[in-house]
Amino acid sequence: MQKAYLRLKDKTTFEGIAYGCISPVAGEVVFNTSMTGYPEILSDPSYNGQMVVMTYPLIGNYGVDEAEHESSGISAAALIVKKLYKGPLPEGKRSLEEYITSNGAVLIEGIDTRALTIHIRENGSQNGIIYTEGHEAEAIEMLESFPLITERDLITEAAVKEKTVNPDLGTGFIKAPQNAKYNIAIADYGIKYSIIEDFYKRGCRVTLLPPTWTSEDVLGKGFDMLFLSNGPGDPAYLQDTVKEIRKCIGMIPVRGICLGHQLITIALGGKTVKMEFGHHGGNQPVLDVFTGKTFVTSQNHGFMSDEASLPEGVEVWLRNANDQSVEGLVQRKLNVMSVQFHPEASPGPHDRKDIFDIFLKEL
Amino acid sequence: MPARTDIHHILVIGSGPIVIGQACEFDYSGNQAVRALKEEGYEVSLINPNPATVMTTPGIADHIFLEPLKCEYIEKIFQQVAPDAILSTMGGQSALNLTMELDRKGILSKYGVKVIGASAQAINRAEDRGEFKRLVSELGLESARSMIVHSLEEAEKVKESLPFPLIIRPSFTLGGMGGSIAECEEDYLPLVERALDESPVHEVLIEESLIGWKEFEMEVMRDSRDNAIIVCSIENIDPMGVHTGDSITIAPSQTLSDRDYQRMRDASINILRAVGVDCGGSNVQFALDPKTDRMIVIEMNPRVSRSSALASKATGFPIARCSAKLAVGYTLDEVVNEITGQSVSCFEPALDYVAVKVPRFELEKFPLPVSALGTQMRSVGEALALGRTCGEALNKALRSAERKIEGLQEMKGDVETILRAAHPLRLEAAYTVIKQEGEGAIKRIHEITGFDPYFLYVLYEQSLLDRELEKGLTPELLKRAKENGMSDKRIALLSGVSADEVKAMRDSDDVHIAVHCVDTCAGETRAVTPYCYTTYGEADETEPLGEDAVIILASGPNRIGQGLEFDTCCTLSSLAYRKQGRKTIMINSNPETVSTDFNTSDRLYISPLTAEEVAEIMRKEKCSRVVVQLGGQTPLNMAADLEKAGAHIVGTSLRSIDRTEDRGEFSALVKELGLRQPENRMGTSEDDVVKKAEEIGFPVLLRPSFVLGGRSMFIAYDTDGLKEFFATSGLDISPESPVLVDQFLEDAFEYDLDALSDGEHVYIGGILQHIEAAGIHSGDSAAVFPPYKCRPEIITEMKEWTLKLARELKVRGLMNIQFAEKDGKLYIIEVNPRASRTVPFISKSSGVNLIEAAVNVWEGMDLIEQGLVRKGESIAEGRCIVGWAIKEAVFSFDRFVNVDPQLGPEMRSTGEVVGIGTTFGEAYAKSQAASGNLLPEKGRVVISVNRKDRKTIVPIARKLEELGFELYATKGTARDLFAEGILTNVVLKVRDGHPNIVDMIRHHKIDLVINTPMGFHSRRSDDDIRTEAMRNKIPYTTTTSAANAATLAIEFSKNREYIVRELRVRK
Repeated sequence: MQKAYLRLKDKTTFEGIAYGCISPVAGEVVFNTSMTGYPEILSDPSYNGQMVVMTYPLIGNYGVDEAEHESSGISAAALIVKKLYKGPLPEGKRSLEEYITSNGAVLIEGIDTRALTIHIRENGSQNGIIYTEGHEAEAIEMLESFPLITERDLITEAAVKEKTVNPDLGTGFIKAPQNAKYNIAIADYGIKYSIIEDFYKRGCRVTLLPPTWTSEDVLGKGFDMLFLSNGPGDPAYLQDTVKEIRKCIGMIPVRGICLGHQLITIALGGKTVKMEFGHHGGNQPVLDVFTGKTFVTSQNHGFMSDEASLPEGVEVWLRNANDQSVEGLVQRKLNVMSVQFHPEASPGPHDRKDIFDIFLKEL
Repeated sequence: MPARTDIHHILVIGSGPIVIGQACEFDYSGNQAVRALKEEGYEVSLINPNPATVMTTPGIADHIFLEPLKCEYIEKIFQQVAPDAILSTMGGQSALNLTMELDRKGILSKYGVKVIGASAQAINRAEDRGEFKRLVSELGLESARSMIVHSLEEAEKVKESLPFPLIIRPSFTLGGMGGSIAECEEDYLPLVERALDESPVHEVLIEESLIGWKEFEMEVMRDSRDNAIIVCSIENIDPMGVHTGDSITIAPSQTLSDRDYQRMRDASINILRAVGVDCGGSNVQFALDPKTDRMIVIEMNPRVSRSSALASKATGFPIARCSAKLAVGYTLDEVVNEITGQSVSCFEPALDYVAVKVPRFELEKFPLPVSALGTQMRSVGEALALGRTCGEALNKALRSAERKIEGLQEMKGDVETILRAAHPLRLEAAYTVIKQEGEGAIKRIHEITGFDPYFLYVLYEQSLLDRELEKGLTPELLKRAKENGMSDKRIALLSGVSADEVKAMRDSDDVHIAVHCVDTCAGETRAVTPYCYTTYGEADETEPLGEDAVIILASGPNRIGQGLEFDTCCTLSSLAYRKQGRKTIMINSNPETVSTDFNTSDRLYISPLTAEEVAEIMRKEKCSRVVVQLGGQTPLNMAADLEKAGAHIVGTSLRSIDRTEDRGEFSALVKELGLRQPENRMGTSEDDVVKKAEEIGFPVLLRPSFVLGGRSMFIAYDTDGLKEFFATSGLDISPESPVLVDQFLEDAFEYDLDALSDGEHVYIGGILQHIEAAGIHSGDSAAVFPPYKCRPEIITEMKEWTLKLARELKVRGLMNIQFAEKDGKLYIIEVNPRASRTVPFISKSSGVNLIEAAVNVWEGMDLIEQGLVRKGESIAEGRCIVGWAIKEAVFSFDRFVNVDPQLGPEMRSTGEVVGIGTTFGEAYAKSQAASGNLLPEKGRVVISVNRKDRKTIVPIARKLEELGFELYATKGTARDLFAEGILTNVVLKVRDGHPNIVDMIRHHKIDLVINTPMGFHSRRSDDDIRTEAMRNKIPYTTTTSAANAATLAIEFSKNREYIVRELRVRK
């Protein structure tokens, strides 16, 4: 615990107290409006390389539980909070401070997170750096040269290094089914444990492929479906993988969530665009165009499908009820479906767990 | 889906009088609903006999009926204005119950009126405990293990299968009325019996105790397309065992992980779906065992509630408004979020602050035994505060509740006993121990109280701050203390400096409030919102409204004597100012109110109503114009400090206010103007009080200065009475806090006069005459507008005196005067140069909006220009445009089994109703019907009157005999009646043995009591009669005029004539 600073690219600086591994740490500063679920957010690989501002001011209230991990460790570069809870916890829970420290991560508290959030909203997401007293010059230099999120390979680190079948997710998660009903290939760009668990729950045998996968790894290998996972960063960075996805489309049912949805957009011939500050929270309303129902969803994305760019045959399945942006696509003929939000939730509402059933039903 | 076109005219049912468990939150919800429906082009009718409400202000709904909430009157409304739908979910349990009764009696189908909001079927599923339990278990969820009983025999059996302690809940009662906890075998059956009596369907649920478990509430909305959202989660800091209305609560939930939160969310939505709530809001309550994580569904309310009002204010999401839109067919994704103005309502508000609610109890009026709180709600009001941290919000909320504490602080008294009891001071007791013993005490206190260690740690952090402050104040420490919500006063006290020095340090270090907006989205989207709270140490995000705006100080948490009436005054003033083009800034801490609806003013601050906080807001808004005369005593009490801080008090000057509030000055004023007041002196010690009382002559009325609602008032008939007062009032009598000793005018007629002045002219809104005997607080007495029994000379004299006072005090704005008349002589009892409790009642009955007229005066329009006083004249008087309007007080005594339901100079009523009629009998009959006093149409009347009344009672007794009543009388009365040819049965007086009058009342052998005061020797037995009658809900009267009123009303009721009249304004 040490006095520290958060400095944004545009020189806006906040003072706070930092915990954990406090050599200067940099990353894109994004915010999340979920009021619960900080352990899931910290460990969500989609946040790899990002520093997450929790807009809810009181963080750490219920500690951290083994079962709340979305990957094997902490993915976010740092957590930025107003106030960290340091008091007693129920038995069996780790304190957030200890969890951060022992994972070599960083947390800074005492930040006016509302002012910071509004600043990001008004000025767009940007890189920032957390440094301790005396390291200002070094930090500024590092921040100046720090690559933009669109220029970084954040996926290799977040994804599996080699093909993995039915990974064990650890405490609190269910195991792979004994007799699988479906055999699915997952192109892993940093998948959340909860997505894998949702497939397990529905009787799927899961094969995780590293981001360098090719169509040969998938086609003709007895898979019922190719699933493109969530993950960090800019989809445009993944030109090679898009070529492989194109080879698979039409040959095998293809599904995707979040980054996977964006990759599908590109593979089908559309475009993605970077959003001003993205959707990050557990309260986003999504309209199902086909049923007319609206759902509350968990979201975390800074890029989106550009509706105008979508080729013929691609239908908008789901839409954000606030800004009308595309939240889900279907290409019926080619049997492709994808959603931008996180149906697995974790954290967030469980309203669209049925997306997984729909993914599997149409195989 | 667009709005329904099969309906055109909707009747909204209000909740009636304010009682504990059903307060002004329903004025807020009803008001929002009416506005939302009118926006959609529907014709809207409204029924609510509560004249104090905003919703019954002319112009709010198309047709307003101040009529009793009874099927007969609703049926008349159906005939008269022909609504085709009825909205059942806005008027609390009363409206739900009434809707179900209308349905059962076939009245709805007879007139083809559809129920919108919640269907009768859904209401049944949620309210019928057996049905609800079945439904919960079908969803795979758990209810508390319990059984339903309909008789004591069944109850006997239950206790064999469930362990003590057991919770006893009667079905279909509001606010958990009649509910209790049986700790052991001995308590059990009597409590079940009481609960069976309370339940209108004679059904009681006995269940396992979840005391000490964590308690949560979810506010849910669901529409016809099955879209469902959680507006807000609320965690009770007081664990299970204390009614949620009496608990300190916090939103959002603090100690739930996302997994637990989502589990509760899923369960809540599934419950709404199963119950069939498909166009509105509901709340679902849960208990969570901290040891096993076992989650229990406690109950759900298929309507807007106190919690939904709280959730609306905590999040900025207008639940009632949205519910009304859903009720007419819209879906959540079609209703625009008014706060952001761009997003839709089908989302879940994200908070970036916490909202803490602290209940307000009336411990002085309704003293509670130590382990007082339980399944039945006891608090009369609540305060809400927003802050960036728990500590900040909690400190502010405790201050907002105006409990005479400056936030978290140590308490005096038996800390350990209170810690072990469900007591309103338990959190303070916990704080006291933690401050003394440190962090190590957390575990022990958690085990004793069930307070989650998370919250106890918040207390511990405050105690650390306290300790630092005790070592001395530094600028850095000051900042941290302010960020944790501490007041200057508290900081000063701890650090041994004066509050002015703290303020000076803040000024020199530029430590001032920062304003944050409540935007429902945690800053995610740009929101133009008028709803603000203040914090310290963060970025400010609003522009000042400036010198042209006006700050209106509202009345804070509801309490006895200061409630809904004042909120209505504040709300109406904001509307009136805005009509004139002036921007308004409302400051209030009461989340139940219309004034804290973000639509009421140009800017709303949820903030403690203290001079420090108001001065900070004045500074920030660059606005010094402050209205203090509409919010009751709370704003007046800080007026002097505000003036010191640079405020310009709107209307009547502070100096004039002082002249009426300071007894010495007031007496001088009365003398100077040649008026008359009861003999009065000031006592500065107990001996001095005795001496002064003897000088004046008994009986005397005792009261401390500067109080509202007659707190600690007492009538003493002799020296012994004085001693009793000293012993029971707990007052510290000293030269600094003297007691006023007034001549008590026994048997006088009392009047309430509300007037408006521009300093030169006076418009008298109306004069009310009390029906009950003198000595009963004006707020507790039934009162008639216009006076029913008053000589014209007396009225003229009242008017003359009013004009003299208004001119001398240069009153600009409202003024309330209480008069008494005894033996043909007029006395002035008190003058309040501010809006009184009766202003909304008078405004509606006279058809003149006195608040709007007052605002016009403040904006420079005199009364002549407004057409209220004729040119060339100096005074005018309003008249009752409805014929007769009778205000009746409503009590919540059934909440306090151990409290003597006795009336006196101290106000005890929680609410009021009005009865309107072209004859006195009709008006009185309606006032009684609306207040729930069921006047008998046949049966036995007992008459016991003093010598003076023996003549006047004769025609009344005769009338009652004609109406078919069997007459009983005490000896003297019986004799005198016999002399007049009226034969009665004789009944013993209380002190003459058994069975006496009280025994007969107790055994329900009497249906109406007429008992006038017999002087001080019989005071005790008079009290016993009244107490017993009240306890058994038997109507009683204390004056012959009230007896006459009751007789006229009974005669009227026997005709079974139900007439409804629309409220109108004076042309």
